[in-house]
Amino acid sequence: MVSFFCKVFIFLFFFLVLMSGREFFVSRYEQLGWKYRPVKLRQAIRFNCANIKSQDLISRLSCLGLNLEKISFLPHGYWVCDSSVSAGATAEYLLGLYSVQEAAAQIPVILFTDLKGKTVLDASAAPGGKTVQLADSMDNTGSIVAIDINKRRLTALTNHLERCHVKNAVVYQIDARNSPKLGLKFDCVLVDAPCSGNFASDPMWFQNRTLQDVERNARVQREMLMKAAECLTDDGEIVYSTCSLEPEENELNIDWALHRLDLQVAEINCTGTPGLTNIFGKQLDPSVACCRRFWPDPTQGFFVCKLVRRHT
Amino acid sequence: MRAKTVVDFALQFGVKLSLNEELLVQTDGRFFLLNSQIKSLVKDNFFYAGTFLGKVKNSKFFPSFTLLSMIAKQQEANRILVDRKVGWLFICGRDIFKKGVMRTYGKIQRNSHVLVFNEFGECLGFGRVLAGLEQQADKNVVAVANVLDVGDFLRRERDL
Ligand SMILES: C[S@@+](CC[C@H](N)C(=O)[O-])C[C@H]1O[C@@H](n2cnc3c(N)ncnc32)[C@H](O)[C@@H]1O
Repeated sequence: MVSFFCKVFIFLFFFLVLMSGREFFVSRYEQLGWKYRPVKLRQAIRFNCANIKSQDLISRLSCLGLNLEKISFLPHGYWVCDSSVSAGATAEYLLGLYSVQEAAAQIPVILFTDLKGKTVLDASAAPGGKTVQLADSMDNTGSIVAIDINKRRLTALTNHLERCHVKNAVVYQIDARNSPKLGLKFDCVLVDAPCSGNFASDPMWFQNRTLQDVERNARVQREMLMKAAECLTDDGEIVYSTCSLEPEENELNIDWALHRLDLQVAEINCTGTPGLTNIFGKQLDPSVACCRRFWPDPTQGFFVCKLVRRHT
Repeated sequence: MRAKTVVDFALQFGVKLSLNEELLVQTDGRFFLLNSQIKSLVKDNFFYAGTFLGKVKNSKFFPSFTLLSMIAKQQEANRILVDRKVGWLFICGRDIFKKGVMRTYGKIQRNSHVLVFNEFGECLGFGRVLAGLEQQADKNVVAVANVLDVGDFLRRERDL
């Protein structure tokens, strides 16, 4: 009996103390080739070009004292340089002319090849930043099925859809792991997976996260990827992204998908550093380098890749 | 029936909307307008679909901002134009004084509803006409009482 409690204690100690905390994660990042430093994120916005011309919006926002700088790697993204008003509380924001959206979070949607007229699944859509971006890129043509498991977050999503005048989305409260039950095939599937997040966008991240959380999330992400592949048309594209820096949720999951699902990683023309192909001594498929990893600064931590069906 | 609720609402602004009843769906008292592309994707348990038109609560219809924009696109819509400052106060939930109204369009009668436009012709919401908007009217009286404004999105975010 005593020895049982000892084992439980050692197990908990191992997971909650040794496999968590700032030092544990920072030393992992160093092993992966990135030296930790505190990061200050830059606020970014994205113009909804279906609703206004960029030049008009730039001059309207500058009149309000909201000065912008174009983000070089995004088609419609701007850094907020200095502002006497809150970017999330202007008439222009409330009229859906732009969205407040972190810079790296704007990348997944731009990786799809021509979205116009396509049938798209947004597999974990709430609160809807990327659903609105998808609709804008599609110019409200085609259709988006946006799903999420969380009803409260879906309400936030529908507020965004209404604010930005999105007309081509259908929203369901479903677990993405049940998405094949929709009985539909999609040209594009966005798996912006629920993840452990990162320290740059959550000041309490190191205090709150353990490797166990990371592994739990990684499992759900693999299940979501598997179901996304089932819903994909033969020449369809999956974009997978997380805002986690942990390789279990990123490169290791993609390596798993390459071996277990009928998928391959597609080349993308995208900023960021190549996906890591050696994780703590484990050698991964070389094509994982086609993924992109974003160590924080000036964006949050992020990971993204595009998957297509394997060509035989 | 669904179409009638929405069409009757638009009539208050002097606009006759024509809606295809076949493309209107309803869930939980909320009305949506579909297009042919998404119609086949809408199943019984949908949460939101296409263009949200508004909701009925306690037998009263509450329009969406997309519906207000649809009405606003019609030339004949009864509307007033306000400048940036008055527009911002309106978005913050305030009423509009006579002196804040730059122009009026359509038939503006006491107790009728009017859309409120900013200087770019975008619809900020709507209000109820309380006082005459003719030239000789007292400029310091509340002319349009705020009924709904786009600041509602911020209030909703706060309440979530
Ligand atoms: C990273 S957020 C998505 C952000 C969103 N794509 C955006 O751009 O606004 C992850 C979302 O996944 C949802 N989620 C978690 N588990 C899920 C599941 N099994 N099926 C579907 N959605 C899930 C969460 O509720 C959360 O809203």
